[in-house]
Amino acid sequence: MNITESFKMAVDSILANKMRSFLTMLGIIIGIAAVIAILAVGNGATSQITGTFNDLGASTISVSTSDDATDSQKITSQDMTSLKNSSDKIERISPDTMTRGTASAGNNEKTAIMLGGTTDMQYTSQTMDSAVTYGRYFNTTEYSEGSSVAVISADAARSLFNGRENVVGEKVNLKTSNGQVSVKLIGVTKSTLEKMVGSFNEEETPGYIAMPLTTLETLVPNATKITSLTVQVASKDDIQSVSNQIVNTLATRHDSVGEDVYTATNYLQALDQVDSVLGLFINFIAAVAAIALLVGGIGVMNIMLVSVTERTREIGTRKALGATNSNILFQFLMESVILCLIGGLIGLTLGISLALVVASSLGIQASFNISSVILVLLFSSIIGIFFGVYPARKAAKLDPIEALRYE
Amino acid sequence: MIDLKNVVKIHQTGDEELIALKNISLHINEGEFTAIMGPSGSGKSTMMNILGLLDRFDEGDYILNGKNVTHLTSNESAHVRNKNLGFVFQSFNLMPRMTLLENVALPMVYAGVPAKERKERALEALTQVGLENRIKHRPNAISGGQKQRVAIARAIVNKPAVLMADEPTGNLDSKTTLEIMSIFQRLNREGTTVVMVTHEPDVAKYTKRIVSFKDGEIQDDQIIEKQKII
Ligand SMILES: Nc1ncnc2c1ncn2[C@@H]1O[C@H](COP(=O)(O)OP(=O)(O)OP(=O)(O)O)[C@@H](O)[C@H]1O
Ligand SMILES: [Mg+2]
Repeated sequence: MNITESFKMAVDSILANKMRSFLTMLGIIIGIAAVIAILAVGNGATSQITGTFNDLGASTISVSTSDDATDSQKITSQDMTSLKNSSDKIERISPDTMTRGTASAGNNEKTAIMLGGTTDMQYTSQTMDSAVTYGRYFNTTEYSEGSSVAVISADAARSLFNGRENVVGEKVNLKTSNGQVSVKLIGVTKSTLEKMVGSFNEEETPGYIAMPLTTLETLVPNATKITSLTVQVASKDDIQSVSNQIVNTLATRHDSVGEDVYTATNYLQALDQVDSVLGLFINFIAAVAAIALLVGGIGVMNIMLVSVTERTREIGTRKALGATNSNILFQFLMESVILCLIGGLIGLTLGISLALVVASSLGIQASFNISSVILVLLFSSIIGIFFGVYPARKAAKLDPIEALRYE
Repeated sequence: MIDLKNVVKIHQTGDEELIALKNISLHINEGEFTAIMGPSGSGKSTMMNILGLLDRFDEGDYILNGKNVTHLTSNESAHVRNKNLGFVFQSFNLMPRMTLLENVALPMVYAGVPAKERKERALEALTQVGLENRIKHRPNAISGGQKQRVAIARAIVNKPAVLMADEPTGNLDSKTTLEIMSIFQRLNREGTTVVMVTHEPDVAKYTKRIVSFKDGEIQDDQIIEKQKII
């Protein structure tokens, strides 16, 4: 007996009980569909997130000092100069010092986040767009002299100047619990939020005002004792080595080697975190799918046992006609494998459709690969064999006379 | 052809032992047409199952075609059944979802005959029993007599040396019984050895020899002088 014959027999017998076969496959269908959908959406999400990291922050390193760092361990502007000079892989460097306060012009007042940095902050800032709509950013002279100049976010400008955006040359009064300063606005730029979202409720969100770190010192005591930095590297391939180098340089300059004062994180670590969260999620769903497949497999075994009992007489007849035990074993094994394979294929189709629907509703691109299709086929067959062996062996071992006499 | 020597068969049901065959010796030559008769429970089916290598026995020897088949493995028995023996059952035992042609071709599937040859030979066998026009039908679309003719076609398709039938006409009326017996007679004339169990003396007279069983023993064994030809 060859494979074509047993294949035909198996298909015939599955088709003879269409509804029952379908119900039996349900567990397999659900399990496989879940696996396929989760993998496609999960992979899609991962590559989406990876892509976003690459776009936004792939070349960015965040450096910070620990909470218990002493004043002498905090980062100085000399540290920044030294870091920048120590490596041509570092492109930009700026502190991320910020404080909350109010900005006022005439009778208008608005909550504002005041940011202090170097001239590089135009590019390192995560909150303000690097493209200036009006005017310009502050220059190195203004930075080193601590000039009272600032760049304002467009939404804050509109709030303070009655809807006007081009406010270059205007004066704004900035106030915090520590003091106040009047700055001349030299540039206007969109906030990242406005750039991404477009219009939003401007009254409730604070505006952004960026100025030289030295200027910010009027509003924040010890602003020049920096606790957090943003560094940009020229090539993201160097990001890990530069991160390590920054930590080493800072620790050496502050006599703090081995004290864990400085940490430098980059997108690789963040990606790791995303990966591990996604991985956890995928594992959870995979466990659910595994249970569905287990239940499905048991269903297949159950129905195959019923089938063996129903066809006892047929088995006896086949044996009388010359079927060997292995012929019978193979026939029933084939049947359970095909049952699982059909279930797997339906599950595959369902899983792909499901992934497409879910992905499009999440706004991501589902990613499929041929290896998961092959895996599904392989896995379905394995389930078919695993749960089919017992019923098939039972059929094969039937005593021909008992089987022939079975009513 | 068939040589049973001092065969003892004990049926075990729980603690109870029932000696179904007590020291049976039976010799059947090639070309014979033998009827096995006897009251219910006398051991006819038990002996047919042993002759058909479907059952094992407890003592004695069985020589088939000059070969001792007493201790065959189940695989070897399957091959012997497939190649040398043909079975006809009281309740036909056709595969309900297969066409008549596929039913008849089934033993050749297990013999490893290629598909094309299977078709040709199955058609030839169906022609021999006069059903060449119904090859695409399913068993539920034909009468009992026709079903038994399909079963005979299936039994002879591998050209067996012995055709075994346990009450092949038990489910048939007298007219179809005659049809079946005439087919048996023709096959026997063409050289097939036939062994059949029957309860009806009217049926037995179409054979050439009657072996009578009683309580697991052969009570009588007689050659029919004038076989009734249909
Ligand atoms: N599998 C079995 N287990 C136990 N006892 C059995 C078994 N098969 C047959 N027997 C017993 O063996 C004896 C012979 O049975 P067998 O079937 O050979 O009779 P038979 O001559 O074919 O009868 P019938 O004409 O009714 O078919 C009977 O007493 C029967 O009850
Ligand atoms: Mg009987």
